[in-house]
Amino acid sequence: MSDSAIDYVSAPVPVCADLPAAHRRGWDHLARPGRWWTGAERVAIATEVRAAAACPLCHERKQALSPNAVTGTHAGPGVLPPAAVEAVHRITTDPGRLSRGWLDGLEADGLSDGHYVELVGVVTTVVSIDSFCRGLGVPLHALPEPEPGEPSRARPDGLVDGGAWVPMTAGRFGNVLRAMSLVPEEVSNLMVLSRAHYLAPEEMADIERGRGALDRAQVELVAARVSALRECFY
Amino acid sequence: MSGETSGRDYGLAAIVDGKAAHASGIDHAEELVTLAEAMVGSDDAALASARQGLRDAMGAEALVDAAAVASNFERMVRIADATGIPLDPPVNAMTADIQEELGLTAFAAKSQTPDAGRLARAAGPLLRRISPRLMRALAPRLQRLIGAPPEPRV
Repeated sequence: MSDSAIDYVSAPVPVCADLPAAHRRGWDHLARPGRWWTGAERVAIATEVRAAAACPLCHERKQALSPNAVTGTHAGPGVLPPAAVEAVHRITTDPGRLSRGWLDGLEADGLSDGHYVELVGVVTTVVSIDSFCRGLGVPLHALPEPEPGEPSRARPDGLVDGGAWVPMTAGRFGNVLRAMSLVPEEVSNLMVLSRAHYLAPEEMADIERGRGALDRAQVELVAARVSALRECFY
Repeated sequence: MSGETSGRDYGLAAIVDGKAAHASGIDHAEELVTLAEAMVGSDDAALASARQGLRDAMGAEALVDAAAVASNFERMVRIADATGIPLDPPVNAMTADIQEELGLTAFAAKSQTPDAGRLARAAGPLLRRISPRLMRALAPRLQRLIGAPPEPRV
């Protein structure tokens, strides 16, 4: 198992220990083979996330009335299949305008639902940890060295059509926790990061509960403003 | 438009218009919104200024907490939008009127969530008033339902 050396000792402000611990775990998780991608492919997805920020095609699409109106090739390492590269770049740079038709196109190009959900987990892990670094003004962490091994390709039992674009475990509520249940390790990683960055699920029910120096209204204002800027309805 | 938690009213317009932060009734809303906007944007100078402004107003710990929350939602919005999950029905019912007034229904991702319906829209404000007590009552059950996250496969 790798042991990422993430810390925030050089940060301009003190960072409580739960954040670097969650980030180390996230980076170690990133380096390991998943259910559908190898460790090397998962790190390649992470590399593509960082390339997306400077991708001219993504920039042009972001400015267009419809992202479908602009065609071209993404700038980046390009070691992944084209459908995976497209998925990484769009989720990273223009998440508010993704559509079922877009995902159907990726699947027609050979990206399975398992590959896609795991890719979403990797992309969102890197985006959030990189965003935290940028918010604090510290350098981005070096990506981890991939670990050897093959993906398990194990599909969980009990998946249903829950009204999303991907199959999920059965349940009536908590869709955002069920969204990646096709790859349970990504749900686990999401919960660890969310506890460190925001609140534990059981704490969310207590509306008096803040986070550190922020009261709950301040927490939710930051959360809602980011969500609105990304045009996220959820 | 206002929302109520903990017996206080808050202006919600700052969610979609950062310039309305001063009228939100939330302490240091302007500094918090400025940091959130700068983190989503790509202007490094604006982000440095926002960081310093928040730190000066609220202190170093608040800067770390605000950066942690903003970056958390950079993750959550992408999970929601990339998987096409609908908004959970109780939340949809409780917030239908707010969605419309803030213009959130214009977002492309709204198409994933069925309309709450007239009855739910009418009941939304009442549901919001009782939801804090309801949430507190349900919290232990929620904790049992969620439990500990599954351990990753090694």
